[in-house]
Amino acid sequence: MNVSPGIHQRVQRLMGNRFEISVVSSDANRANDCIDAAIAEISRIERLLTTYSDDSQTNQINAQAGIRPVQVDQEVFALIERSLRLSTLTQGAFDISYGSMDKRLWNFDTTLTALPDSKTARRLVRLINYRNILLDANQRTVFLKEKGMRIGFGGIGKGYAAEQAKRVLRERGVESGIVNAAGDLTTWGTQPNGQAWTIGIADPNGTTRQAFSYLEISDMAVATSGNYEKYALINGKRYAHTIDPKTGYPVSGLKSVTILAPNAELADALATPVMVMGTRVGLDLINQMRHIACIIIDDNDGLYTSTNIRIAAPAKA
Amino acid sequence: MKKICISVGLLLSLWRAGYGQTVDLPAYEKRRLSLQEVNLVSGYYQQDGNNSAVTGGIGSEQLTDFAQSIDLVLKATDRLNRQHTLTFDMNIDHYTSASSDKIDPLTVSSASRSDTHIYPSIAWTVQNSAKRTTRGIALSYSTEYDYKSYGINLSFAKASADNNRELSLKAGAFFDTWKVILPAELRPEGYGSGAHGDRDPIDYKPRNSYNASLSLSQVINKRLQVLLTVEPAFQQGLLSTPFHRIYFQDGAETVERLPGSRLKLPIGLRLHYFMGDKVIVRAFYRYYIDDWGMQAHTINLETPIKLTSFVSVSPFYRFSHQSAVRYFAAYGQHKSTDTYYTSDYDISDFTSQFIGTGIRLAPPGGLLGISHWQSVELRYGHYVRSTGMVANSLTLLTKLK
Repeated sequence: MNVSPGIHQRVQRLMGNRFEISVVSSDANRANDCIDAAIAEISRIERLLTTYSDDSQTNQINAQAGIRPVQVDQEVFALIERSLRLSTLTQGAFDISYGSMDKRLWNFDTTLTALPDSKTARRLVRLINYRNILLDANQRTVFLKEKGMRIGFGGIGKGYAAEQAKRVLRERGVESGIVNAAGDLTTWGTQPNGQAWTIGIADPNGTTRQAFSYLEISDMAVATSGNYEKYALINGKRYAHTIDPKTGYPVSGLKSVTILAPNAELADALATPVMVMGTRVGLDLINQMRHIACIIIDDNDGLYTSTNIRIAAPAKA
Repeated sequence: MKKICISVGLLLSLWRAGYGQTVDLPAYEKRRLSLQEVNLVSGYYQQDGNNSAVTGGIGSEQLTDFAQSIDLVLKATDRLNRQHTLTFDMNIDHYTSASSDKIDPLTVSSASRSDTHIYPSIAWTVQNSAKRTTRGIALSYSTEYDYKSYGINLSFAKASADNNRELSLKAGAFFDTWKVILPAELRPEGYGSGAHGDRDPIDYKPRNSYNASLSLSQVINKRLQVLLTVEPAFQQGLLSTPFHRIYFQDGAETVERLPGSRLKLPIGLRLHYFMGDKVIVRAFYRYYIDDWGMQAHTINLETPIKLTSFVSVSPFYRFSHQSAVRYFAAYGQHKSTDTYYTSDYDISDFTSQFIGTGIRLAPPGGLLGISHWQSVELRYGHYVRSTGMVANSLTLLTKLK
């Protein structure tokens, strides 16, 4: 029997996010088995990294902050090592010790009407410093130098999980598919009709989150960070839910940042720091890097892209 | 017009921030990335033994796809379709040089020994994605110890609906002023050396250049791209180099003298062919003609070949032939009745060939088992000029982590 391949899809809540796994296959049962394996892999990563459970490796590290180094799995060690490299790259705009923020001082929410004073802002982010995450490769240990410091993988974990799920699927012979972790997605292969996957980018202004543009991609990952879901208006200016780990102030200026990269972990991990660094510094960073592209929409609806993106007009219908 | 004002306003507010908040430095600044950071993607998983499994998505084939640009297609209803960019750059170079000190063996503190080069520029581009056009204007200023230059550039580009063809037009003008530095023994009484601290006067002469450029690029198919360029240029003013010496048949000595204008026309054709994922053929041909009687042909071929995912070689070959300008004669061959004379071998008749190859090794676990030693590239080139000049170059590039 020769059935033409179709897309098999499943949506599931994992790591606190909506994951959507799509697999191209001509065999529905086999596709389902593959998706099961991918979900099992994401759940495994969730248990490893979550900050909501005391026995996760993340919380074991956090519990020993300022006390002693903690031995972790090679997988977690390598993820932290890569995170620190991204922190150096982004001048600290990406920092997995972001969780050290002292929310008792100033808790940002959408009802806020004033910014913290600069002293409070600085105290807020006092413990955020990736340089105080000390790794020992021989012992495979992680040590947080300051008491009260906390790490978390909110800025990279989703992308890492998507990429691992993709690996599991490819190992099982899935030649084409998409793993979408709440908008951070990784694609490989092609659509059943042999064409490249088409990915839309949400219009940060529309209420229905319609795509304002689209891209044809394959074997590439996309992640978008935006302040359009959660933001506060203070003196008529939009502030994102994200706090700049260096200044302690909420980030403003950009509505959305989309990163394209060959893997979802990098795309996920770079979207927020570009948002924090702003158009000028952010684009300068991305333009220097090979194999990474970036699309920015600022508060004035200006569209900025890295030099490797060509803006094309819509094809005539 | 709205967005332009915003850009300018933004720039001003940046400056204002610089004055107003004296304590807070900007949290993030532009900085130049290291080579390793530039190549972060290809080396991302290499240091942690997590390679092939996860890198599945970043094999060589995807990277070559990514190297070409990505199309972002806007929807027809979109408002975000005009993009203004205003950039202001201030560059300062400082360099030291030895060779230009030969102009004047007597002045020890010659200005050329070390020099500061300042070149601010301002550029404004408007990209209209509905019309698929980009327009730009740029102003620049540049100064070095022996010249000052003001420049203006206009550009226009239009892409076809499918983005496979792009026409680009550029026009530029540069207004330069050169210091007339003469060889020490040929300076008239009281003529300065041009060095710092020498108060004797020195002549200044203008040199204006007008360039235009037309280029047409066409993507023929996924594998083949072609680019045609025509770049006429006209120069006027002091085109000779007054510190070049000339020796006549009768033994008399003077300085180089060349006509006050020159019209140049280079036409080039560039071809890129992606042969599978392993081989790229880059070919280039250029024809050149000017009204000083020079004609030149240049052919260049470079073929990077990926042998395995860790080893690649890139052989290259360049052939070039040019005829001499009609004012050229060798040392001691010029007649004192000639109107113009030069002995600069760069504009003499010659054929040159440059052949060589590069080989690059980048094993995933590091070279010789040293994980910090990421890659090594060796480039060798052999250059022969029919005038007798032979040069060999050997470059070793190595990347450590």
